Amino acid sequence: MVTKEDFVFSVEKVQNFEKDILRMISPQVRDVLKKIPLNELITTEEIRLRANKPLMIQNEKGSFFVNLEGRLTANRMNLFYVSQEQIAKTLELISENSIYAFQDEIRNGFLTIRGGHRVGIVGRVVLNGDTVKNIKDVSGLNIRISREITGCSSKVLKYIISSEKQVYNTLIVSPPQCGKTTLLRDITRAISDGVEEMGFKGVKVGVVDERSEIAACYKGVPQNRVGTRTDVLDACPKQIGMIMMLRSMSPDVIVTDEIGNKGDKDALIQVLNAGVKVISTAHGYNISELKSRKEVLSLIEEKMFERYIVLSARKGPGTVEEIIDGTDMSILYKGE
Amino acid sequence: MLLKIIGSLIVFMSSSLLGYMYSRRCSKRPAELRALQGYLQMFETEISFMSNVLKDAFTKIYMYDDSSVAVFFKGTVEALENDTGITAGEAWAKAVKENIKNTSLNKEDEEIIISFGKMLGSSDVEGQIKNIRLTINQLKLQEQKAEELRAKNEAMYRNLGILGGLAIIIILF
Repeated sequence: MVTKEDFVFSVEKVQNFEKDILRMISPQVRDVLKKIPLNELITTEEIRLRANKPLMIQNEKGSFFVNLEGRLTANRMNLFYVSQEQIAKTLELISENSIYAFQDEIRNGFLTIRGGHRVGIVGRVVLNGDTVKNIKDVSGLNIRISREITGCSSKVLKYIISSEKQVYNTLIVSPPQCGKTTLLRDITRAISDGVEEMGFKGVKVGVVDERSEIAACYKGVPQNRVGTRTDVLDACPKQIGMIMMLRSMSPDVIVTDEIGNKGDKDALIQVLNAGVKVISTAHGYNISELKSRKEVLSLIEEKMFERYIVLSARKGPGTVEEIIDGTDMSILYKGE
Repeated sequence: MLLKIIGSLIVFMSSSLLGYMYSRRCSKRPAELRALQGYLQMFETEISFMSNVLKDAFTKIYMYDDSSVAVFFKGTVEALENDTGITAGEAWAKAVKENIKNTSLNKEDEEIIISFGKMLGSSDVEGQIKNIRLTINQLKLQEQKAEELRAKNEAMYRNLGILGGLAIIIILF
């Protein structure tokens, strides 16, 4: 639902959008984006640039073309077309003229810019044996705007903090674009700062932020609010990072994004054996679908997680579908 | 008579000063080429070990030292900040062309330095390092040449200044 408050944006928010996103886009495309009314521009979730295709914008109402007057439309008339040069220029601006500093990210197909926004890249892949060496002739960019929603975890907190004021091992399950990372970030902030209403004092949290999305570090310092008792290991691979965190920072809880690769389980076991709690996320629509993934199945069967939070976008991103107790698979909460 | 002596003193002093300045310029060029090699070495460390972006790496270099060649790095950062439509190579070329007048570097040096910019920032780390090494090697050759030139010319210019001054005085006296 759109309320009147949604149209009041802080100056800071607009400035950040300008500084973090618009500055990174090629000048011609930027000029068109600037013509879009501010309230529509600021609620953008994705900006898509495809070579010789119209510029597109996705927001909560769906995906739209952008026409030359900067209006969002479903009509194919008078549209703004993006050229490949403009895409190349945008990539140059995003990488701050320093492709060499981002080559590992480009190999993975995306890079994270200041503010924690993720930019996906497609084009022609250059191989080196079996591994991707580079992406050249970039033909498409997808700028996904990450949004910090303070307080979005308040409803689920009572399910993941036990009566003994302990944090349960939690897995957030959700399809893409449903607010996984946003929820994870806010849970991190809440358990690190403490929750007064529940009498929960903050605990030490270690964030292993492989894709720089949770804390959105810029030059190593978190730009997002992730709590006072939070240490962030930025851009570090999960498996190595979890062990490093465990040994070096003595955290009470380790937070990491998108678990489920081979080897993640071993790292998890080490962390759990040390008595440290884990909060993580996984791609999936529900628990039964999650079980079809071999690596995740063994995590579920061995009851490594005590809570599963399933999200969907049914009533807008971040709708909590259900919360499940991982020890006996009983449903603790079910969304209507 | 007094006027003549004062006049010849002025001629003598100015011509020796001219000779001295020329000889200084000869010794400045190798020093500048050496400094530039040092900065490129720093840049290599910045990008290979620290993986810093271009602007940060260049900023560090000119913060470290504010010599006549470090200005190239400063100028590049300023050009990149002022104009988002410019590539790193263009910014570098612009900074070099604007500031090379205040150095003792010659046309040949300028070409080498500008060609360093062509690959700047647009390839992976290995490519960048190769480009840096190549430029350093070329600058080293230039430095050797400049050093030879210096050994030959430094004393010559100085003596030429003094002796030329004396010659003028003798002719005019």
